[in-house]
Amino acid sequence: MKLAVVGKGGVGKTTTAAVLARTLARDGGTVVALDCDTNPNLGISLGIGDDETERLIGLRQSLDDGTQEHAPSWDSLIDVFGSDAPGGVRLAVVSAMDKPEPGCPCCGLSPEQLLRTVAFDEQTVIADFEAGIGTLTRLEAGAVDVIVLVVAPTAKSIEVARRAAELVAEKQLGRLVVLGNQVRDDADRALITAAFGEPDVACVPHDERIADADRRGVAPFDVAPDADAVLAIAALAGTLRATA
Amino acid sequence: MRVAFVGKGGAGKSAIAGVIARLLARDGEDVLAVDSDPMPGLSVSLGLGVVESAIPADAVTEKAAGEPGPRFRLRQGLTATEAIDRYALLAPDGVRFLQFGKTRASAAPLMRSQWAFRQILDGLPPETPTVIGDLPGGTRQPFLGWAGYADTVVVVVPPTSAGMLSARRLAKLATTGPTTDTGPSRILAVVSQARDDADVERIRQRTGLDVIGSVPWDERVLAAEREGRSVLDTAPDSAVVAALTALAERLAPQRAAQRQAALADFPGGGA
Repeated sequence: MKLAVVGKGGVGKTTTAAVLARTLARDGGTVVALDCDTNPNLGISLGIGDDETERLIGLRQSLDDGTQEHAPSWDSLIDVFGSDAPGGVRLAVVSAMDKPEPGCPCCGLSPEQLLRTVAFDEQTVIADFEAGIGTLTRLEAGAVDVIVLVVAPTAKSIEVARRAAELVAEKQLGRLVVLGNQVRDDADRALITAAFGEPDVACVPHDERIADADRRGVAPFDVAPDADAVLAIAALAGTLRATA
Repeated sequence: MRVAFVGKGGAGKSAIAGVIARLLARDGEDVLAVDSDPMPGLSVSLGLGVVESAIPADAVTEKAAGEPGPRFRLRQGLTATEAIDRYALLAPDGVRFLQFGKTRASAAPLMRSQWAFRQILDGLPPETPTVIGDLPGGTRQPFLGWAGYADTVVVVVPPTSAGMLSARRLAKLATTGPTTDTGPSRILAVVSQARDDADVERIRQRTGLDVIGSVPWDERVLAAEREGRSVLDTAPDSAVVAALTALAERLAPQRAAQRQAALADFPGGGA
């Protein structure tokens, strides 16, 4: 199963991707988390810490500087530009490069091409996309199975999500799951369900413990495994696995 | 003054940029608010709602094969100033608003609109208008030279690990990226969603940036965002608006001094 997590910046894509990855790994799958964002922060939410996250970013960027050796194959890309996150998740930063060498396994493919090209076999792949819908405009049908569209109850986030949903439908990019995040009350829920239809929206409550984890740079899955928001995302992971 | 607001997605760039633009306009400045984010944001924060106002394709002409210079330039006889008069929308408080077009599912490519946007910003006369720019979240676009017009880059930093890491990357890009030739003379930070003074101090230390303002966490911003309105309209007397008013003054200290001087010259003024 290949999952892409999309949405406006700041709505909780990375937190969602991290909790999905950690939950699916705990429940017995081999999980690869791909950070496709050119501003990659997924490591923090997966629990590898600020320093290791920054090291991975530096590694990726030094490809453009010419100070990092290129990986010889797609598999080694995951090794070279990756790190073992807690709970058995393998994280790799695969964000698009500014100076790609055509055909090179480690920089020649954009994340959306990588998802379509590489056979991940039985592994579950969670791809955390760049904010906005740029990646979706370039994504082709068949690259992923499921698109988790994260929506916060704000006018801007809903507008971005509407456009994302249009693209997913028009290009038949995969099964769309709308995740209403940071939901505080019925009014928030109504705002999101009015835009996307009640049956297809999974709601995740606003949770101060997530905000606290973000401030401390630690994984919600580690410091607040029983937080309502973590449990709601974990429930979604279960549904996705059951229906894959 | 030409300011570009950058920062992690969701940091509050467009909410802050929108209020600053309107506050400067209320002070009598000719303000052009520019949005180079392919997703809607700044227009909502200015109080215009979601608008689609891409610069029309015929604003630029393509160069002939073999001709030197940029691929597209503003069409013959169209200056940057005229282009603004023609294509910018009027926002509350007299702010003029220019956007480079929004990505939709089946929209025609935005390339010409984006070229026009860049050519307009490159062609502005040096002093006016004041430009307040909102860049997309993350580190990609600033690195690709979209903040080239800015003499001041303001990094908006929420007090999270990801926000601070992003800020450090952005600060580095602003000084070493391709914008360096015409690069900003100031790189400053504004703390957003600050819960307390410790947040501000932590960001000062971890980013090494000159923090010139701090906007407190306020539920009323959330409420405004939910409605798609500006906090300047929904909660004008909030601490957030007070903080942004102070920030506007600090961004343009000469203006504040000139205004004080003008008041002092005015009979009965000079409080």
